[in-house]
Amino acid sequence: MDHVVYMFEIEDCSRVTTHQLVRHRAVSYDQESQRFSAATREGVVTPPSIQTNEAAYKAYDEALKTVYSAYERMVAAGVPKEDARYILPGAIRTKLVMTLNARSLMHLVWQRTALQAQWEIRELATSLLNLARDATPELWTKIIER
Amino acid sequence: MVWSSPSPEKTIAVAMRRCYSTKPIEEIEMELEQKGADYWKYLLTKAMQDKSLDVLEHFTMTLLAEGAEGADVGDLLRNFPYLRVTRLEGSDWMVSLNARTLVELWRAPNGKAFADVVVAELDKGRVCPIFNEVAFGVRAHPS
Repeated sequence: MDHVVYMFEIEDCSRVTTHQLVRHRAVSYDQESQRFSAATREGVVTPPSIQTNEAAYKAYDEALKTVYSAYERMVAAGVPKEDARYILPGAIRTKLVMTLNARSLMHLVWQRTALQAQWEIRELATSLLNLARDATPELWTKIIER
Repeated sequence: MVWSSPSPEKTIAVAMRRCYSTKPIEEIEMELEQKGADYWKYLLTKAMQDKSLDVLEHFTMTLLAEGAEGADVGDLLRNFPYLRVTRLEGSDWMVSLNARTLVELWRAPNGKAFADVVVAELDKGRVCPIFNEVAFGVRAHPS
């Protein structure tokens, strides 16, 4: 298990979820930096519980508009992106590459596909499992059967 | 050498560009393919100069080590916890590591001898001539 290694390219999950992801150890991560990349208003994840609730979505959308407006005004005023980003929301979409061995992936999948896991990381962990199973079907069939 | 990441220098370059680009990964990979090996070498050299060794962690390798004493392997593992080692039989071991750990081993007095063996294996198999040259000063074999 320690000698089988996967490298994943992950896009469009929220920083909320990558904060959960990086709690898994013995994993290598390289993530899009907010120090140098400008954040955009379009790049946010909206949880289904907010998306489907009119009042909640209105509050969410208003807050995001306020935050992004402040971010853009700070950058325009000469504040470095690495400092202006302190105001950015956890909802912001991010991209990363992740390398880990089968043992670490098994632990991640075991924890993050559980019903107690939050919806977004559960979706991500399920995708990782499916990709790993496609790449190394015999190994994952044995793991899942255990 | 049992296995190593395909296109190791490009893999390192992908990880490095991922940090500083907003582009989707397909565009980054296409851009790196178009710019070619000289650009991968430039990025790798910059990563080493900036001490951004995290990007090296995506280049991984697995080796069969024969004739190593358990005490020596244990000593290495205590000092380099990201080494992954499985005892196969007697003094034979399966060892997996990433390129960052290899660089750290190579720089440490108690890891240099093992690192030299790994670097020689990489060199012999022409696995990563650019990486070997930039990280260890090993000249690539003439093609």
